[in-house]
Amino acid sequence: MMPMDEIKDSEMIVHLGPQHPILAGPFMLDLRLEGETVKEAEFTLGYGHKGVEKILEDRMYISCIPVTDRICYLASLSNNEVFCNCIEKLLDVEVPERAQYIRVILMELSRIQSHLIGLGEFAEFIGFMSMFMFLVREREDILTLLEMITGARLTHSFVRPGGVRLDLPENFKEKALKILPDFEKRVREDQETLESDEIYIERTEGVGVVPTSLAKEVGVAGPVLRASGVNYDIRRVEPTLVYKDLDFKVITATAGDTFARAHCRFEEIYESIYIIQQCLDQIPSGEVRAKLPKTLKPEGEVYCRVEDPRGEMAFYMIADGSPKPYRVRIRGPAYATLQALPPVLEGVYVADVPAIIGSMDGCTSEVDR
Amino acid sequence: MIGMVVEEVGTVIDLLHTYLIHIFSQYPFLKPLLIGFVGACVITGILFVAGMFVVWLERKFSADMQTRFGPNRVGGRYGQLQLLADAIKLFTKEDLVPETADIWLFTGAPIIAILSALMMAAGMPFGYVEVFGKQYLMAITNMDIGVLYVEAMAAISVFGIFMAGWGSASKYAVIGAFRSIAKMIGYEVPLAITVVSAAVMVGSLNFVDIVNFQTSLSFLGLEHVPAWLLILQPLGFFVFGVSLLADMGSKPFDQPEAEEELVAGWGVDYSGMRWALIYFSEYFHLILGACLFVLLFLGGWTLPFDMPANLTLPVFFGKVLLVILAVLVVRWSLPRYRIDQVQRLGWKILLPLSLVNLAWASAIGVML
Repeated sequence: MMPMDEIKDSEMIVHLGPQHPILAGPFMLDLRLEGETVKEAEFTLGYGHKGVEKILEDRMYISCIPVTDRICYLASLSNNEVFCNCIEKLLDVEVPERAQYIRVILMELSRIQSHLIGLGEFAEFIGFMSMFMFLVREREDILTLLEMITGARLTHSFVRPGGVRLDLPENFKEKALKILPDFEKRVREDQETLESDEIYIERTEGVGVVPTSLAKEVGVAGPVLRASGVNYDIRRVEPTLVYKDLDFKVITATAGDTFARAHCRFEEIYESIYIIQQCLDQIPSGEVRAKLPKTLKPEGEVYCRVEDPRGEMAFYMIADGSPKPYRVRIRGPAYATLQALPPVLEGVYVADVPAIIGSMDGCTSEVDR
Repeated sequence: MIGMVVEEVGTVIDLLHTYLIHIFSQYPFLKPLLIGFVGACVITGILFVAGMFVVWLERKFSADMQTRFGPNRVGGRYGQLQLLADAIKLFTKEDLVPETADIWLFTGAPIIAILSALMMAAGMPFGYVEVFGKQYLMAITNMDIGVLYVEAMAAISVFGIFMAGWGSASKYAVIGAFRSIAKMIGYEVPLAITVVSAAVMVGSLNFVDIVNFQTSLSFLGLEHVPAWLLILQPLGFFVFGVSLLADMGSKPFDQPEAEEELVAGWGVDYSGMRWALIYFSEYFHLILGACLFVLLFLGGWTLPFDMPANLTLPVFFGKVLLVILAVLVVRWSLPRYRIDQVQRLGWKILLPLSLVNLAWASAIGVML
């Protein structure tokens, strides 16, 4: 906590949170303000602790999957993916190629819808309510596709150790190839609406710059890291599934400000669409789930990571040969990304604080787990 | 007594009539008071109904822009009575005053806010009504300094906002209040200068004179060219429009109540009836600001040709509706400026432009 007796007469401490309109999940941000300028920022986490890691220790492997959904509902498929990845590595199972493609499609779809919500909230935080509505409207298409595959719009629980739960529905390829170009056109339109807006540019350019050195130092992840000029993407660095066979650009920007972060997210949406289209073209037929014993009893230690919508999502799992994991440690991207907030917030105007938080796209649910 | 014959039977109205004539003959000063009271009630009633209509309009309109439905349950398919339901809810809620609040400032603020809007309305003419061959100006008063008076009353609302922010004794509210003062200093100067340039060109501060001036003029052999100040002072039109958006607290300029950082800004501690009053005063400012805009720049109730006096009111309110719709489009399609950017806009762009416009207006005014 900030020491109250060191506050000068011209300064005051304003709490943003734990309950505040800009926060989807609760965390506390104390700002020491002088006029409209932030002198110091300090934030406290832990208001939304769900104890996911402990819950995982008490469940059979297969029943852990719905719990991993709840780490962050916008990234539930990549959380499923990384958890199942750990088990597959321990059991040394080869995932059928068709299942790998389906998983890639799912992860990219979930990346798109997460980015759309993130961008929408960010636009809302600088007072552009309509843009939030537009982007959520476009997201509906992606949710339709996800619903076709998984049967759920959120918390899909679709990935299984050794594959996926079900094959793609019959007309999925036609439908997706029909929806996606149209969807891309509309998102590009929204992007142009946003990025050609004078007020938006004034509000975002040069605001909340995360320098490359700071980004590397605190371990910022995902689009925030790439917007600061670091070419780092787990899909490239350590490709899982069939990512090594797919062609895609790692979107980077050099400015490191809020504009660049939002821009990177928009561009990543288009890359994801491109990846999905490639997958639909290349996907082979065959099994979607490897044969595994009914009760999984892996043994050993493993560390797996995938590229979450927000960056590097990693699970460290210790399995002792019993039907339940001995210990699962989750290393989420949002926690590390939010560590960059206090240094970045120093010296900005208080009106820019929501914009910066929004551009970081932190998920409090995932931060606290 | 059964069978008693009464010569003449009067109603209560007759009694009241006789009584009033009697009273007025004895105390003549009561007559203007009563007329003023009735006029105030009428203008308040009309404004509240118009305010409710505009709130409903904004909700439906913004919903259309954002592919939502908006109110669609209460009172029919279009949620016509939603606002009535909201008003009943707000007026029956608990009257809550925070413990640390300054009671006088806190309770006085909504009154000042609503008063400023109502006083503004008192100085504005809205058109003519012709009854039995006689024309009446639809205005509470027709002052010779009407423009100045309305401007002054509009500026008073900032006191209400500051009182609300300071009196709430909440940090968000205080920051919001400071912002509203800073913003007001930024836009009020160009706004006043533009209003002055309009008056300079016409040569009067009276609204009726300004509107009559804008009826039409002949230009290069063309008849019926609208002499709207929009055409004669395009720069003034722009500056006035932007400053008026700031005055209304519309979207690019709603920093004092920025929800994202200040929760609800200066109004954070208000609820129930007090909040409803402040909320309505904002919508009154929207309506009356649009009225002022129409009077000063869009030719008021006139069109560039002759028309019967009874058409003036529909023409005027049609123009006002168009201006309100334009404001709503701006409000729902722009992000918000930061407070320092508003200051920069006000002092570095709008103020020089308004001075240029003043020089232009003086020159053209002399030529006309």
